[in-house]
Amino acid sequence: MGKPFTVDVVTPESVIWTGEADFIAARTTEGEIGILADHEPTMGALTAGAVVINSTDGSTVTVGVNGGFLQVFHNQVTLLTDRAEITEGGKEDALRLAHEMGADEAV
Amino acid sequence: MKITRAMELIATSRIARARVRVAEAQPYTAKMTDVIRNIAAAGGLSHPLLERRDVNTAGVFVVTSDRGLAGGYNSNVLRLAERALNAHRANNVPTRLYTVGAKAEGYFRYRGYTIEESFLGVTDTPSYGDARAVANVLLDDYEQARMDSVEVYTTRFVSALTQTPVLWPLLPIEPPEMTDEVVVAGYEFEPSPEEILGRLLPRYLEGTIFGILLEASASEHAARRRAMKAATENAEELTRALSREANAARQAEITTEISEIVGGAEALSSG
Repeated sequence: MGKPFTVDVVTPESVIWTGEADFIAARTTEGEIGILADHEPTMGALTAGAVVINSTDGSTVTVGVNGGFLQVFHNQVTLLTDRAEITEGGKEDALRLAHEMGADEAV
Repeated sequence: MKITRAMELIATSRIARARVRVAEAQPYTAKMTDVIRNIAAAGGLSHPLLERRDVNTAGVFVVTSDRGLAGGYNSNVLRLAERALNAHRANNVPTRLYTVGAKAEGYFRYRGYTIEESFLGVTDTPSYGDARAVANVLLDDYEQARMDSVEVYTTRFVSALTQTPVLWPLLPIEPPEMTDEVVVAGYEFEPSPEEILGRLLPRYLEGTIFGILLEASASEHAARRRAMKAATENAEELTRALSREANAARQAEITTEISEIVGGAEALSSG
């Protein structure tokens, strides 16, 4: 297990997940990004899709996000998104959620 | 009296919930502000939404409630907004008016103002979607240069006892003040800082409006609680005064009846 860093998933309604992780996989407009501890300071725009967080308690948290922003600074990762939902169903389910959120908006 | 008391209790529970939501929205706005500061430190802020233009047309956005029975909550903010509309007119600056709540719609319609867009069913429990709907309309009209500034008239929740009508500039977006901490920077940007800023600013405006709606909602419930508490107390006082009066009247009637009976009996026995 790698060195841990802290993660916050923040939406306007609430902080939906906060904890320690040793790896995060997300997708920015420029492509896939993987974050380990001591990642250089980064600011990214997320596309709608899945963010996978390897929590230090051994579990994998998959979050469907409706776009948003990612900030990495001094082992502190913040995901800012107007809508996010944690899913147990893995990446496919997260993608489906993200698409649903997008569809909601179009209405 | 039972009704006002019930409304007071409902409002009390609503204040608590509304205040929790205000608090829960805080981290998002704070982080967004943080990101904007970092972008500013990385290469300065330049975006049409941040640029001040000459104000040929001023946008006025007023937040009230749908329902009354909230004391001076609506009239305070409406008065503030109307004063601003008059001031713009005195300066020959045309205005575009946007309202939240049936109270603002009714007030301005009655006075002959044109309302560009009226949002109803929002203030009781505002959702982020409501904020987005408002932001979209304002942004569109601002970007199409149908207006050159937007100011919002709303009510700030100072405490459970104090809610103050306030005016805030909304557009152009005022960049957050810089603090010393952010100068470290050295960020990698994916995509470029300009592009991130372009995506971020509309979200930032939505977040700001969401915060405004939540705080207005908390203020509305607090004002209603106070108004209903006063109404309940007035009603209780009135009940006390009226029952005293009723008792006195009944007593007087009984006294009269007794004296009539006594008088009648005396007249009979003496006769």
